[in-house]
Amino acid sequence: MQVYTGPWTKAEAAHLLRRTTFGATNQQILAAVSNGMTATVNSLLQIPISSEPLAYDAGETIVPQGTSWVNAVYPATQTQNQQTENARFKSLGAWIAKNMNQEQLCIAEKMAFFWQNHFGVTATAESRAMYHFLALLRQNALGNFKQLMKDVTIDPAMLLFLNGATNNVFSPNENYSRELLELFSIGKGNQIATGDYSTYTEVDVAAGAKILTGYTVTGIRSSTETQATAIFNPILHDNSSKTLSYHFNSQVIPGAGATEYANYIDLIFAQPQVAQYICTKLYRYFVNYDITPAVQSDVIDILAQTFITNNYEILPVMQQLLTSDHFYDMSVRGAIIRNPIEMIMGVMNPTQTVPNFGLVGDYQTYISIYYVADTMGQSYIVPPSVAGWTAYYQAPAFSKLWINSTYIKKRFDIVSALVFSGVPIGSNVLKLNHLGFLNGLSDPFNAPQVIDDICDVFFPKAIDATDKLTLKLILTGGLPDFEWTIQYTDYSNDPTNIVVSNPVMQRMQALMNVILKMPQFQTI
Amino acid sequence: MKRRDFLKNASLASLSLPFVSNGFSMQAISKELFEYSKNAEDRVLVLIRMNGGNDGLNMVFPIDQYANLMVQRPNILIPQNQLLNLTSDVALHPKMTGMQDMFNNGKLSIVQNVGYPEANRSHFRSMDIWTSGSLDINQTSGWLGRYFDATYPNFPADYPNAGFPDPFAISMGSEVSTTCQGLMGNFSHAVNDPFNTSNLLLTNVTNDGTYYGSHIEYISTLINQTNEYGTAISASANAGNSLSNLYDPLNPLAVQLKYIAQMISGGLQTKVYIVNVSGFDTHDSQVDQNSLADGSHALLLEMISDAVSAFQNDLQLLGIEERVAGMTFSEFGRQIASNGSFGTDHGDAAPIMLFGSCVNTGIIGPNPTIDSQINQQAGVPMQIDFRNVYASILRDWFEAPEQSIQALFEQNISFLDVLTGCSVGIAEQEEQKKKPLAYPNPTPSNTTLRFYSQGEHYQIFIVDQQGKAIAQTFDGQLSSGKQEILLETSKLPAGHYYFLITSTNNRELVAFQKV
Repeated sequence: MQVYTGPWTKAEAAHLLRRTTFGATNQQILAAVSNGMTATVNSLLQIPISSEPLAYDAGETIVPQGTSWVNAVYPATQTQNQQTENARFKSLGAWIAKNMNQEQLCIAEKMAFFWQNHFGVTATAESRAMYHFLALLRQNALGNFKQLMKDVTIDPAMLLFLNGATNNVFSPNENYSRELLELFSIGKGNQIATGDYSTYTEVDVAAGAKILTGYTVTGIRSSTETQATAIFNPILHDNSSKTLSYHFNSQVIPGAGATEYANYIDLIFAQPQVAQYICTKLYRYFVNYDITPAVQSDVIDILAQTFITNNYEILPVMQQLLTSDHFYDMSVRGAIIRNPIEMIMGVMNPTQTVPNFGLVGDYQTYISIYYVADTMGQSYIVPPSVAGWTAYYQAPAFSKLWINSTYIKKRFDIVSALVFSGVPIGSNVLKLNHLGFLNGLSDPFNAPQVIDDICDVFFPKAIDATDKLTLKLILTGGLPDFEWTIQYTDYSNDPTNIVVSNPVMQRMQALMNVILKMPQFQTI
Repeated sequence: MKRRDFLKNASLASLSLPFVSNGFSMQAISKELFEYSKNAEDRVLVLIRMNGGNDGLNMVFPIDQYANLMVQRPNILIPQNQLLNLTSDVALHPKMTGMQDMFNNGKLSIVQNVGYPEANRSHFRSMDIWTSGSLDINQTSGWLGRYFDATYPNFPADYPNAGFPDPFAISMGSEVSTTCQGLMGNFSHAVNDPFNTSNLLLTNVTNDGTYYGSHIEYISTLINQTNEYGTAISASANAGNSLSNLYDPLNPLAVQLKYIAQMISGGLQTKVYIVNVSGFDTHDSQVDQNSLADGSHALLLEMISDAVSAFQNDLQLLGIEERVAGMTFSEFGRQIASNGSFGTDHGDAAPIMLFGSCVNTGIIGPNPTIDSQINQQAGVPMQIDFRNVYASILRDWFEAPEQSIQALFEQNISFLDVLTGCSVGIAEQEEQKKKPLAYPNPTPSNTTLRFYSQGEHYQIFIVDQQGKAIAQTFDGQLSSGKQEILLETSKLPAGHYYFLITSTNNRELVAFQKV
């Protein structure tokens, strides 16, 4: 794997942006071309501060509408407590979609979603804990993975989700201990003997459970505490010495109380398989599902070495991957099928379709996007299992699992609604920003250039020339190109006059209805 | 968008909490619904969109204005003696012989000077007006879409269903038709080829052997599987027939109209078909300056005339002539005066053509008056509002009540009689279907004769124009019912002939032409 030195055109820049963001505009792609690969990758590899989710739903009875609830108590009465939790959960679901739709052009949201999938935490019925967990993932999405693993281990949401909060010396619970090895860090290898999974054994699962004992969570949906908090209680901790299996050189972990878990994680991370496992997951999420022997030796092994050399800092690995020749290889372009939320944002973000309905209207729109994604098979705040979505690990189909004959119909339905009448949400209607999108293209007066730009934005590879011609004729309504130029000129001279703008919009509607239903658009 | 999907409450299974969705609110369809006319159930409307602004004055010539036309458009006006006369005052372009025959046989009518007030000469805006059937800039539905919305509620959520298994409208090509845009969905289904009903909007999808190619192939397959109408369309096209040999396979409109004949005759219950012909934006070289009856506009008119007359011939042979009517339209006519480039610029009103055996024969509306003074940029003034034509088609053809039709349009409708030429009842139509028929006709080789036998001994002769029997081609007993007999005609010299069908109680003549 070498640093990529080939041509740096819209095709390569758009490929990079498609894989690292939820959708770039034509102007952003052009800016990436002129900035060059290195500067573009560097600018993508950052995590801007995100504002907190705000109360908007009438069910929230503690904080005023438009303010953050993430550090606020819950109502005391059970009914109100539940209503408030429902309202906060919706706010949280909307907040994720809002972050994606209004992302600064960088890897933050895509990377945060990688970790959300990696840890597979579903709703904990404590939205404050869930928010803080997601915020932890997002904030450290490019940080130190070993430290993140430690922080996640004693995070209240994780303690609630995988029974860490009820794992104690009197009745050890192996749930988290098992997933820590199997799914979160070293990964499960082939079973080579009873209870032996190549990278760890059942002995380690049992020992790990004991190591992790002693943590509980207080303040769950409390009317007096502003946080769900992890508490270490020494009485509940198994402070005996634990002996690991031969995979960890049969090392002994002496009792060390509240920080014992960190010592254990240090031992796990001494094994090179951790870097292999995580780099494979990163590769599947950002590049391609297929780990061929060549990819293993030329890409994964090298990334894993970088990961270890840099003491599990994620950023250098991503920097190396995104500037590598393999990342830009034609064989991996378009190799991933968009997941549902990538599909919806892939329509909205490049067209700068952003709700502007005020706080309540915007949040209602974003939670509606959550419901729409749910009907397409991805309730993005509720992964189907702790292993995350099957499309990221289930061989041989992988991302093909995102689409079946039902889901493709739903993808087309949402496109039709956004493109034509708009999606009614309460008293608001979310419509595709046809004219804003068109105006932002490099030469909207020029019909062939409009088609070229739109294809660059939405398709991972060049499409057939006759298809481009067909698309152009849809834009021009079958008329000669100059008639489009005249119509667009009339519109641009008088942009607020709907008599000249509506006809332009109608052509864009016809075009986008076709573009966004082409199979090419479903891939990134 | 499926309504139930929008209303579906998100299932947050793992949360196991009561969870009330804001969801989506739907616009209520509160219009009064049309009575569904059983009589009109089988009727089909074919729309031919002439895209670019058709020069009506180079298609339908007001002969009584010829002198002033010569003043206004001397460099493009076709010599009078080349025009095809329809009446003493009206003539057709010389290339439209097929449509001249249709006119003479009562299967073509012309509505003159059709347009709308305060013409907008932007192609895009004007086509929006024509397809929406409204001058309201905020009107987002099409005129047929509004009619369908009012007739078939809860579209698209409740369709297709057992009662309506087929698309309401088919738009030939890659794009659905804006005429059929309804409140919640477009009633038209885009079809490039009914025998290959890929639901892919574009065709050039191949697996290039990469991961991407494998995805594209996979998604394409799924898209086709979701094509709810594809099976019905291809089954109809395969079950259907086309009996005319007049279709020119190189004429793209003829190819599409033939597809339509096959779908209709195969039993597809689609009510509207839309075809598009582009190229009418003839700012320059509209005519060949060395031969004014030729040139780009002539080619287009010839294409339409040939294709429509072949289609009409086919419908007749198929015995479904009285189920199908058609209309041409364009976003505007062109200016009266020609320009220096042997072309014409955007204008106003223009004639439209209605075709089918049920048209009210003749020419509706007077010729336009052409001024002898050159008035730069003058178009043909509108005399008949296009919305009145639409409304009249809905009344005459789909038998929608006048009051309900009025609700679809913003201005007061004045109905015209446009498609009342077939006031025959169902029984009479059945009788029509039993008339004997020869196909293909004209024929270059052998001919099939279709007729209904009374279960007698039959003899069939070929008779020439003078009434002389020149050959016997069949002699035998036939069981009762529909018969289709292939008859030897390949060795006949070119010319006009009859089949004489005789039996004890019957004697019928069927004309055919050998080419």
